[in-house]
Amino acid sequence: MSVTGLLLIGFLVVHLAGNLQLFSDDTGEHFNAYAEKLKSFGPLLYVAEFGLLALFVAHLALGLRVTFENRAARSQRYALDRDRGARSFASSTMVVTGVIVLVFVIVHLLDFRLREMSPDGLAAMVVRRLSEPAGALIYIVGVGALGIHLSHAFRSAMQTLGLNNTRYDVPIARAGKAVAIVLGVGFALFPLVYFSGAKHSTHSASVRAAVPSTQQRSLADEAVSSRASFESSSSGHSEEQR
Amino acid sequence: MSSSHDTHAAHGAASTHGAHAEKKSLRLTLHVWRQRDPNAEGKFATYKLDDVSPDMSFLEMLDVLNERLIAGGEEAIAFDHDCREGICGACSLTINGQPHGFERETTTCQIHMRRFEDGQTIYIEPFRANAFPVVKDLVVDRSAFDRIIAAGGFITARAGSAPDANALPIPQVAADAAMDAAACIGCGACVASCKNASAMLFVSAKVSHLALLPQGQAERNSRVLAMVEQMDKEGFGNCTNESECEAACPKGISVSNIARLNREYLRALASSD
Repeated sequence: MSVTGLLLIGFLVVHLAGNLQLFSDDTGEHFNAYAEKLKSFGPLLYVAEFGLLALFVAHLALGLRVTFENRAARSQRYALDRDRGARSFASSTMVVTGVIVLVFVIVHLLDFRLREMSPDGLAAMVVRRLSEPAGALIYIVGVGALGIHLSHAFRSAMQTLGLNNTRYDVPIARAGKAVAIVLGVGFALFPLVYFSGAKHSTHSASVRAAVPSTQQRSLADEAVSSRASFESSSSGHSEEQR
Repeated sequence: MSSSHDTHAAHGAASTHGAHAEKKSLRLTLHVWRQRDPNAEGKFATYKLDDVSPDMSFLEMLDVLNERLIAGGEEAIAFDHDCREGICGACSLTINGQPHGFERETTTCQIHMRRFEDGQTIYIEPFRANAFPVVKDLVVDRSAFDRIIAAGGFITARAGSAPDANALPIPQVAADAAMDAAACIGCGACVASCKNASAMLFVSAKVSHLALLPQGQAERNSRVLAMVEQMDKEGFGNCTNESECEAACPKGISVSNIARLNREYLRALASSD
């Protein structure tokens, strides 16, 4: 689980870096060019995608095995069961967040990978999807669950691989939090920005992954409060694309 | 040692201050797991005690209850105990949902009734794990741990009599870490508190204290492989790194030992001997 999990984190870092191309210009040309470049690898892309799928399935299968073995290790439950406060919300919900991420990944693949490419480009498809209330909600919940999953995952993987010790425990714990925040917040930026319509303001192109969390929260607030402005901006937006 | 100190301290405080409130006996409602034998269906039985001295230890409170049960012609509640001073690892019990009760780094035998409130309801269950089957009432069979030790938790070198100090160079850091790991009394609270009933903390403590010392080097690789294999055979769950074991351990064994166990295991797998 630890090895497949860490490799999947590696993929997520590259995925986020690719997505950030969306913010590098207003037209989405850079992102479309990046998508075209990936496509130009032809059969190699299929090899990479198959590898990724294998990693994901392996992580899932190992997770299922561990979960079933763990359930089987205590068939008579405690009548009264109290934690000592060591386990976190994230660590005790790994199965739940894992299942949410699985469902999300299936929706995500149906949205952008298994659907026919729109003639106006992938960037336009992404923006359209993330501007819909349902789309934005699905993506925010999906990457939110991913962030929570990762906040336990990284340190846990390090511990399982024996890379943790009294000297490195604190830095590893911090690195784990950083991985969760950078990836969780990083991916959440896209639905937040497109749903709130912030991308269509002039300075939006400079939004980066390293937005401080306060600013992040204000974006989230904006997403909630600017329904009305979204209506107008999204209609303007679809005209733009047609 | 500490138990007698505690008791004297309590007596001293009570007599000098004449603190009437402190000496007041407690009324308790106990829900105790009763199970006739390993195959019988167990259930909770409720007992009311209305004159529990706050100076009693938790096990003494159960002794008093048992005396009454016996006097009333009922069968005494079976529970494990031995040294009653927190060093042998015999006592167990899950008290109000927590193995060894709520006090940090304290075994059941070292808990005193003054830590409970008048009128409190207390649930007493055995340690629960399929690898620790209930023998009777609150007694569980922890011989799975013995079999793990028998699989590799020993050294074959003749250690002889105690060597001269510094004749065997051991870095202070290693000596301290080995001693911390060796503090494990094998009580099984790690398994009982783990959401997955995993025995990783116990095995990691036993592997660590030998792997850190020169005497443990001869079987360093075979030991970890054999002990982990036996652990898996016994039907313990897997470690998901939630650290509840460390928080429940009466000896404060650190989960950094689990990382060392994983390191030792990978090292042994990678080794050719």
